[in-house]
Amino acid sequence: MAERPRLKIPSEAKKGELIEIKTLMPHIMESGQRKDKDGKTIPRKIINKFTCEFNGKPVFSADLEPAIAANPYMQFFAKVEESGTFKFSWTDDDGTITTAEEKITVS
Amino acid sequence: MIRGGILAGSAAALLIVGACGLAIGTYAHAKDKQAPLELKGDAAARPWARYSGWPERDESKWNTLDHISSPPAPKGPRKLAGPINGDAAKGSKLVADRGRGGSCLACHVMGPAGGANLPGNVGPNLSEIGNAGLSDEQFFNFVYDARVYNAETVMPPWGSHGVFSDAEINDMVAFLKTLKSPAPFKTTLDDPDKRPDPVEKRDNLDPMENPGLWTIDKAQALWKENGPGGKSCNSCHSNPAATFKTWAASMPMWEPRLKKVLGVEEFITRHAKATTGAAWLMETDDNRAMSVYLHFLANGQPINVDMSPPAKAAAERGKALANRKLGELNFACTDCHGKSANHWIRGQWLAVLKGQYDHFPTWRTSQQKIWDIRQRFQWCQVNIRANELPPDSKEYGDLEMYLATQSQGLKLSVPGIRG
Repeated sequence: MAERPRLKIPSEAKKGELIEIKTLMPHIMESGQRKDKDGKTIPRKIINKFTCEFNGKPVFSADLEPAIAANPYMQFFAKVEESGTFKFSWTDDDGTITTAEEKITVS
Repeated sequence: MIRGGILAGSAAALLIVGACGLAIGTYAHAKDKQAPLELKGDAAARPWARYSGWPERDESKWNTLDHISSPPAPKGPRKLAGPINGDAAKGSKLVADRGRGGSCLACHVMGPAGGANLPGNVGPNLSEIGNAGLSDEQFFNFVYDARVYNAETVMPPWGSHGVFSDAEINDMVAFLKTLKSPAPFKTTLDDPDKRPDPVEKRDNLDPMENPGLWTIDKAQALWKENGPGGKSCNSCHSNPAATFKTWAASMPMWEPRLKKVLGVEEFITRHAKATTGAAWLMETDDNRAMSVYLHFLANGQPINVDMSPPAKAAAERGKALANRKLGELNFACTDCHGKSANHWIRGQWLAVLKGQYDHFPTWRTSQQKIWDIRQRFQWCQVNIRANELPPDSKEYGDLEMYLATQSQGLKLSVPGIRG
């Protein structure tokens, strides 16, 4: 049973306000550097890309590398001029994309 | 605003007489309000197999919580055949060898040994021990088995438990005799007497901070999942936030039908088996999730353990077990968490017993897993080279009862977050 990403975004903001967005993605972020007890390398498996869009336009994105620890936490600011929906995506090495979204009312 | 299924918590107190005919009120654990429990069999896997990734050594020749097998302390110091002619260079490497039970540096500052890299201060600073006027015989016997000079010592009996040979102890003594000036610390953090006490500042109940909170979502789903009999927890307990508002704070409890102490995890195994039929053995992910959830529902409640006569007797037994020397390294729980509390063992801070119980089960960042209190007991044992017991052992129940009494009155805050 998969855990869902956590999002922390204000539900309301003033036009032109700078809001802070926090996200936490459940993921093992296996770096590919560790070895198991028999000495075999545990294969790399990470989230390698994170994107955030607002009403279809890009806001923030990041390419993640193996040094990022488990359950990657991304915190950033966005300037909102209108109401709409933030859409987030996390891409696993195996191609799986996890998405989440949240609405905001801007007055 | 946080999305993600965290329970808001209801204020209403309810008396629930459900489909299973049980009246749930306050948790007096009275005889007439006994919860259905599976009384036959064990609550954990048998034969018990140590967790994958843990040290694999079998330590049955040493004391553990359910048997005594270590040799007794020697009656007196060993006499030496002559003066010690060890190799100090070899000795300087032996004292820093972390493959031999942590190395001397775990407890002692020792001059330049090991680069003076983060030594501990459980034992005295030995950087100038070469000037202390000790005889070769005293040096040798302190390392071989310090109990001959101090019956209350926490120092492992390195020689009489066979961790180091006589020749190796001679080499270490030769090195100790060269120590005549303060340790050359590279930074103040390396000096255990100057290191600031660590403070846990993380907010363990912030879902952005503590991955352990995801287990609550899992538990809430398990709560509604039908067992083999077609019923779920929800069938009898449709308002867990109200029903279990104080329950976990009254655990562990003495269970007269089994004549042992039950912690939350074992209660879950036996109660689920006897009601919905779900098989949630101890130390499975499902069991841990349910334990986190049931503790979480009582967060903020002061720990208020069972103090009936059999529970008190269990706590007394637990206290005796906490004082028993265990394993190749010959440590009792109270050696670290009593005599050596508020000191550093290498780079780890040793805490007193009070305050250890209120945040279990806890998320462990180094393990990326939830650990319950029984797994924590097991790790303590294996780490000091004693065999662990199965998690449902009655000795662990007694120990948990004692540990809970030491946190009496402290408020639950589960899941915790630790290293």
